[in-house]
Amino acid sequence: MKNKPPRWAEWLVERIAAPYLRDEILGDLSELFQRRGNRYGYSKARLFYWLDVLLLMHPRLWRRKPRSVAYAPQFTDYQNPSPLLMLSNYFKIALRKLNRNKAYTLINVVSLGLGIACAILIFTLVKYHLSFDTFHANKDRIFRVFTELHDSKTRYNPGVPNPMGDALRNGFTAFEKVGRIAFLEKRVVEISPNKKFKEDIAFADPEFLEITNFPLEQGNSKTALQERNTALITDRVAKKYFGAEDPIGKIVHVDDSLVVRITGILRDLPANTDIRPEMYIPFGNLKDHTPWMVEKDWWFSVSDDMQCYVRLKPGVSAASVDNTVLPAVSSKYYDEKMAKFFRFKLQPISDVHFNPNLKGNTEKKNLWAFGLIGLFLIITTCVNFVNLSTAQALGRSKEIGVRKVMGSQRGALFWQFMTETALITGMATLVAFGLAYLALPVVNQLFEIDLTLNPFTDIYLITFLPVLLLVVIFISGSYPGLILARFQPVMALKGKLSQRQLGGFSLRKGLVITQFAISQLLIIGTLVIANQLRYSQQADMGFEKDAVVMLPVPENKKSTINTLSAQFSELPGVESSTFFDTAPAAEEVGSTGIQFDSRTESETFSIAIKAADDRFVPTFEIPMVAGRNLNPSDTIREYIVNESAVKALQLKSNQEVVGKRAVINGRPGTIVGVMKDFHYRSFHVGIEPLCITTRSENYMNCAVKVNLRNLPATLAGLEKSWSAMYPSSIFTYQFLDEEIERFYKLDTMMLRLIQAFAGIAIFIGCLGLYGLISFMAEQKNKEIGVRKVLGASVPSILWLFCKEFARLLLIAFVLAAPLAWWVMNGWLNNFVYRIELGAGIFALAIVITVVISVLTVGYRSMKAALMNPIKSLRSE
Amino acid sequence: MKGTQLGEFEELVLLTIALLFDDAYSVAVVETLSEKLERPMSLGAVHRTMQRLEEKGMVSSRFGDATAERGGRSKRLFTVTLAGEQALREMRRIRNELWAGIPKTAWSGL
Repeated sequence: MKNKPPRWAEWLVERIAAPYLRDEILGDLSELFQRRGNRYGYSKARLFYWLDVLLLMHPRLWRRKPRSVAYAPQFTDYQNPSPLLMLSNYFKIALRKLNRNKAYTLINVVSLGLGIACAILIFTLVKYHLSFDTFHANKDRIFRVFTELHDSKTRYNPGVPNPMGDALRNGFTAFEKVGRIAFLEKRVVEISPNKKFKEDIAFADPEFLEITNFPLEQGNSKTALQERNTALITDRVAKKYFGAEDPIGKIVHVDDSLVVRITGILRDLPANTDIRPEMYIPFGNLKDHTPWMVEKDWWFSVSDDMQCYVRLKPGVSAASVDNTVLPAVSSKYYDEKMAKFFRFKLQPISDVHFNPNLKGNTEKKNLWAFGLIGLFLIITTCVNFVNLSTAQALGRSKEIGVRKVMGSQRGALFWQFMTETALITGMATLVAFGLAYLALPVVNQLFEIDLTLNPFTDIYLITFLPVLLLVVIFISGSYPGLILARFQPVMALKGKLSQRQLGGFSLRKGLVITQFAISQLLIIGTLVIANQLRYSQQADMGFEKDAVVMLPVPENKKSTINTLSAQFSELPGVESSTFFDTAPAAEEVGSTGIQFDSRTESETFSIAIKAADDRFVPTFEIPMVAGRNLNPSDTIREYIVNESAVKALQLKSNQEVVGKRAVINGRPGTIVGVMKDFHYRSFHVGIEPLCITTRSENYMNCAVKVNLRNLPATLAGLEKSWSAMYPSSIFTYQFLDEEIERFYKLDTMMLRLIQAFAGIAIFIGCLGLYGLISFMAEQKNKEIGVRKVLGASVPSILWLFCKEFARLLLIAFVLAAPLAWWVMNGWLNNFVYRIELGAGIFALAIVITVVISVLTVGYRSMKAALMNPIKSLRSE
Repeated sequence: MKGTQLGEFEELVLLTIALLFDDAYSVAVVETLSEKLERPMSLGAVHRTMQRLEEKGMVSSRFGDATAERGGRSKRLFTVTLAGEQALREMRRIRNELWAGIPKTAWSGL
């Protein structure tokens, strides 16, 4: 018939009419339409049609059939049952299915569980780091003042000169509160002669606690930190010192120089703050304890332990302070030249944790890298799931066929599959939580942090989890669901479905490639990081670092040092000992300006400076390339420099520098020798000009070269002499090579983490691979039987299985290798002294992947290849 | 008149169903009624009334044949049940009684 009723109106009625009315009403409407069409013309009839449809709108149109009316049910009534009504059925079927295919269920639950567990842990970790110092009231107005030193290159220091606090407080109006704080690490706190602890302490203004609002549990917050020789400690420390006793009013000694009375107890510091001291002493006491830090209003040195926190007045912008107030400070307290050198800026407190230039210990880019790895793992698990379930779909073709013949619609089949996915994901989540709980202590230990995992109180986790679950369910469930629902029932029942009809075997290939690529990426990453770390720890630093024991020197009077040195040399296991300020390789080395020989201007580069006695060079076996070692002295007379310094001075030969005068750090001396370049910092940074001079008042450490043969006795001897010399201190020692390893702490952490993730990714991938190969083996059961009967050998059948995966693996490698090269090259650029990305690493990566996949695939395909063909062919 | 309330429109539809006897389905009812009442009827109104009548047990329905005009969909044919017939007769009786009781002088104009 040419003239059809309006399609949209029909569609509308079809949508909303109750099933038992649908046909009748549509029939009526169409009949009326035809009659009216004949009578008045079709355009009018169409109008009437719409009018009728509009007038049909009434609850009776869509209300279900009343019960009292006897009415035979029709097929069409159930055409579109609501998915919600079907839910209980879906559940029942899903449970039966999962129960029947236990291996399949297990593989999926385990791999999804691992993926989700990683996602939960990574999420918690990232959230933990992002939450650092975000709990302070008015945190948008809290800033730390930091120093920019504009030299030939700009350096940053989180500290400020010590008069900064007073200057800001008195001369400027932009600040609501200014709190100075001096951090002193590992001081000895003595409660009684037998009870001593090493503690990180801080000297702070009362305003500091107001800015950061760490609340007091006991004591008066109005007077806290006002009165000299008082102290606040945290609840945790109070329990450690005094147990159940009341800590208020107790007297403790801090090092030898200070006696304080506890006047208040702070609530324990939250885990997510970088302000870690647990003992606070009024700032005024600093001059009794460490006079040199506040000796005079000395604007010309910056120590990163001397910091200044401010709270701006409401409405004052940080930019305006950066642009006007702080430059004004520079020009007020420095002459024109130095004002250019010393510049100050504000750093928001939320940035303190993240800024690597200012000693922030976590870079945000690392967090994003973790997030990315988490995403990768989730993708891998989803890929696994999709792979396995599309493969399974083939085995289910009969079931689907029967369902379709019985009247199942696509929607119903799709939702049934989604229910199955949701069930598996639900189980996986439980597994994941178990795994995450088990892994949490390990993660905490690795990162030296204090993460907790509580899905019931953590609002972020509560929102994150459902979102993650929904995403996983939809990504991994919808594709197989659609495939399953699309089957042609006749084909399915005849068992004539082939891989091709399953749709997108190529897509599944793509997924396997993705998986392999992710695994290879992580493997290459692991190999590169491990190699670089091994290189930086085993490479020649240019000095002897083995069998060297490092001891602190709490007090460096000339006589003390001499006595100690003499006592050490009497010990049988000691080969030599030396005193100096920082170890030959240290993370921080002070640097200063140099004026060489008769040149009139200071050099444009700055030179690192170490103070050490004459035994430094022989003890660490640093080779001299010109001149001689320092002569014994206690004050600055002679310098030795390294080769880089000679180069920086633009001299042609090392000999030229020997015997010349130089003014370094404002102090004149003669350069007497040139050392071969050695790594005085980590491999992250290059070797720069360095000089060493004698200055006993700077000596803070002692290195003892020992004979490893009778180490315990030697260490005991060292402790005895040391403790006799410093009775009020606690003896600690460390081996130099261990200390050097600590430079790479963050890198080691990354390595462990990526190792773990690579392991998990590979494991998940293997599970998927195993699932796929088992499925393939079942699929090719008959084929193998026929081949064997016709005389195929076992290896040729094995090859049948392997060649497919070998190809995918190679494609994955081609994709992963350049990406890995790019990423890891970027990482290696953090090191000045680095390994090269050779073909070896990539070859090793592919060998590892091949071996692992062969192991996974091998067993199952071997079993298939060795099977007696009679078993598979018997039924025909 | 207990329990069997019959609205004015319901009565008209019921009467039409009775009138059409063997061919009483919604479209026929709509057309007959619009003809008799000389005003257009909406399918919806008739449909709902017929549903209501069926719920009250005054009509019963069965499926009839499908025609090309209807796009191959079958129609539903209605028959007046005994209860329906009784309700109609009752209404008529009441009306007759009322008519008979009206005094002639009531029609003042005539």
